Amino acid sequence: MLYLYALSEHPAAVPPVLGLDDTPVAVERLDAVDALIGVVERERVEPSEAAILAHARVVDAVTAANDAVLPARFGRGYSDLDALRTAITARSAELDAALARVRGCLELGLRVMAPRNGTRGRDGSGSGSGSDYMRARLEERRQAERVADEVHAPLAELARAASRSVGATPELLLSAAYLVPRNAVEDFRARLAELGDDHPDLTLACTGPWPPYSFATTEAAPR
Amino acid sequence: MTEHLPAAQQDVTLLELVDRVLNKGVVLTGDITLSVADVDLVYVGLRVLLASVATLEQPETGGA
Repeated sequence: MLYLYALSEHPAAVPPVLGLDDTPVAVERLDAVDALIGVVERERVEPSEAAILAHARVVDAVTAANDAVLPARFGRGYSDLDALRTAITARSAELDAALARVRGCLELGLRVMAPRNGTRGRDGSGSGSGSDYMRARLEERRQAERVADEVHAPLAELARAASRSVGATPELLLSAAYLVPRNAVEDFRARLAELGDDHPDLTLACTGPWPPYSFATTEAAPR
Repeated sequence: MTEHLPAAQQDVTLLELVDRVLNKGVVLTGDITLSVADVDLVYVGLRVLLASVATLEQPETGGA
């Protein structure tokens, strides 16, 4: 089947990188965009570590070689070029808008983590009923979420678009992604470092720059 | 796109990479997709990883 790695503005440069199962990457012009694809001898693609890393490697290389790239989600295959062309044509307006949005930008990821155990509510203040404890923990969390807001807002200002979600675990206060112009990545990191200094109680884990995975979904609204 | 990073940061980076590759990125209609069971399996592994990251992030001071 045809395996899709990414879409790019035409004309796309094809980097010399190998994809899934060490197969080569090719470009096909379909409608207004170029599709970076490979041919894999499989009916379906299992999400093994090797396959995930191969997909990421190709998307990284394509993003480094082109200005406007939409990474494809892992594991998407098409029976032939006509099937892929039909899928692209059906979404061409949205794809054009998404390509315009990510042009010249990379993505930075941020996880803000709270201290594992709260400093308050643990200091053995006598009465300690269950509800007192829960109230203390809840207040602690609200406070921490406010702090996470204080970190997110100034970073979002530096980004062309941003997305965030509040954490899935008590320690993870904020998980966010920022779409940052390539020439502003250093400024973004410097601002992040300042914010980290302002909040020594939080752990700020910044990742990237990534290809703009989080801003390639056509349903994602900017900011 | 990685630099010299401490172990915990590398784990966060791997977690974020897998999350992006599997859950983000453009999806077109009419494609052949992964089965949900497969993706769930990957996430079992990720939860283990996330737990280890949380442990590594824990400051060494302040034991109870």
